[in-house]
Amino acid sequence: MTQQDLAEAIERENTQLESIERRTHISLLRRLASLRLTLWLIALLAIGTILALRQEGARTWPMVIPLGLLAVNLLSAIATNGVFRRQTALLVFHLSLVALLLLVAAGRLTYLKGHAGVTEGTNFEGVLAEVERGPWHNGKLSSVSFVNNGFTIEYAPGLQRGATRNDVAWRDATGRSQRSVIGDQEPLVIAGYRFYTTFNKGFAPTFRWQGADGTAVFGSVQLPPYPMHEYSQALEWTPPGSEVSVWVMLDIDEVLLDREEHSTFRLPEKYKLVVRVGNERHEMRSGDTLSLNDGTLRFEGLRSWMGYRVFYDWTLPWLLAACAVAVISMGCHFWQKFAAKPWDA
Amino acid sequence: MEQELQLLWAAIVTYVLAGITAVIGVVLGKRPERSVLTLMFAGLALQAASIGLRWERLGHGPFITMFEILNSNVWSLMVAYTVAYWRIPRIRASAAIVMPLMFIMLGWLMVTHPGEGHYPPTYNTPWLYIHIGLGKVFLGAVLVAVGLSCVIILRHFGFGIRRLGQLPPSPQLDELAFRCMAIGLIFHTLMLIAGAIWAQDAWGRYWDWDPLETWAFITWLTVAFTIHARLAFRISPPVHAAMILTVFVTAFLTFFGVPFVSMTPHQGAV
Ligand code: HEM
Repeated sequence: MTQQDLAEAIERENTQLESIERRTHISLLRRLASLRLTLWLIALLAIGTILALRQEGARTWPMVIPLGLLAVNLLSAIATNGVFRRQTALLVFHLSLVALLLLVAAGRLTYLKGHAGVTEGTNFEGVLAEVERGPWHNGKLSSVSFVNNGFTIEYAPGLQRGATRNDVAWRDATGRSQRSVIGDQEPLVIAGYRFYTTFNKGFAPTFRWQGADGTAVFGSVQLPPYPMHEYSQALEWTPPGSEVSVWVMLDIDEVLLDREEHSTFRLPEKYKLVVRVGNERHEMRSGDTLSLNDGTLRFEGLRSWMGYRVFYDWTLPWLLAACAVAVISMGCHFWQKFAAKPWDA
Repeated sequence: MEQELQLLWAAIVTYVLAGITAVIGVVLGKRPERSVLTLMFAGLALQAASIGLRWERLGHGPFITMFEILNSNVWSLMVAYTVAYWRIPRIRASAAIVMPLMFIMLGWLMVTHPGEGHYPPTYNTPWLYIHIGLGKVFLGAVLVAVGLSCVIILRHFGFGIRRLGQLPPSPQLDELAFRCMAIGLIFHTLMLIAGAIWAQDAWGRYWDWDPLETWAFITWLTVAFTIHARLAFRISPPVHAAMILTVFVTAFLTFFGVPFVSMTPHQGAV
């Protein structure tokens, strides 16, 4: 055997090995693409979904694992199964399922969900009471601001809450001031953050606090939601800039929402505002002041406050587009399939 | 209220007559199809009048209480089956199975309390009608598939081979049932999408694991499973029929069980 023969033999051997390797890759891909595997994985996803429904703590992995495996299964099928090359609509449908999956994943990584209460006539300044966010959330909530100009809510007999109309104002991206009425089905959307009115709303006694150094700040106590917590309209509060904790209670002396008639949410006119500092109890009227250790508290009057649900998810329009593509392509696929042959042929 | 209930009773009696006529027709090997169809249309008209009067009186559609939801679904299921009965003459004998199935729902409807419920503000949107309408088409399509599946299963186990022999052979019924499921899948998908859009508008989230939406998703998965099982294993008509019945049971429990068992149904009611 000459040197050249030897080299050729080795070359041949290598090519053979490579093709075996390629074939094993393909057969692995074929196996991953199996439709029977799809069935197992759909069943696994159903089990994961039930787990997620049952336990709030089990909403990540029981969904992520079957969905991830389904994506692998589906992509392998798309790569190897000739059905998808012959039937474009079927291919588009399954691709839109992959797109949906990727979008939901992206949404979960970047979303934000929270709550904020804003007193009438004041600004939302980017601060949330409760927040939950994806690890990669990078929106600019701190630069989002709007004014709550007050709301109206009607009640039908039996305290059945009707429509909510909340007047809000803000500056848009170009700096122009905007005004709108939101509520029920209509959120306020600023920089991708969506603000939804909720049934959490109530009364907010508003104060002016003048510290010992002479600077004055306004602040309000958002008492528990009304009428849900009608009988516990009290809260512990520390005025902004002060160290002293005060206890504020609103004692309403009139029927605000009549259970028998149609009524509208409104501020009480007959009420007592009780403020307790340590063991001292004071009843305050609008304009009254109260001296504390480190400054003076002046009661400015009652206002309302609205609790907003805040939601950020940039994938929303894309999800909708992917859903539209999925339904249309599925419809086309079945249409073509069924039009080709009558059922009783 | 009196008149509404009288009309509803009249509708129920008419449906029952249609069902009995269909059953007797199959048992005696006769084809009283015109009478059955006329009775079905008459029942639909009477029930529509009853629902319409109540709608007028309460100022909102039949979407709130169990009575209203059952009532409107009996109507929409009957519409779906009547259309199938009317347009696909070859499957008319399946009425002898579908109508007795409907009797169960009618019986349930008769024992539910027809009182009124609270109409929440989040229902003031066209999405209510779109979402619910799409769900009704889904359930109607599945009902037709269920009728055909029952025929396949009965004949497979040797029941009524002669009586149900006037229906097409099982492979054809199987194909038609599959087509109904395909239509059902499209409308179920649309229902989920419409529900998600509505939930995003009304509550600020398109998905929140509430029991009803989660079970609707599981129902969707059972349809996907059935379709792929049929492709993967080339399963026989009786097995496919059994899977269709499973989908129907899941869908039925989702529509009529979950909202009334769970403490936190669709949060719309708050
Ligand atoms: C994730 C893994 C999935 C894989 C690997 C997969 C694979 C396939 C394949 C290979 C086909 C064509 C079979 C044939 O015609 O011989 C098919 C059909 C189909 N798949 Fe999927 N699929 C997956 C998920 C889904 C899901 C989640 C749905 C949702 C409902 C779905 C809906 C359909 C429909 C409607 C058809 C058409 C059935 C027909 O024409 O009879 N698929 N799938």
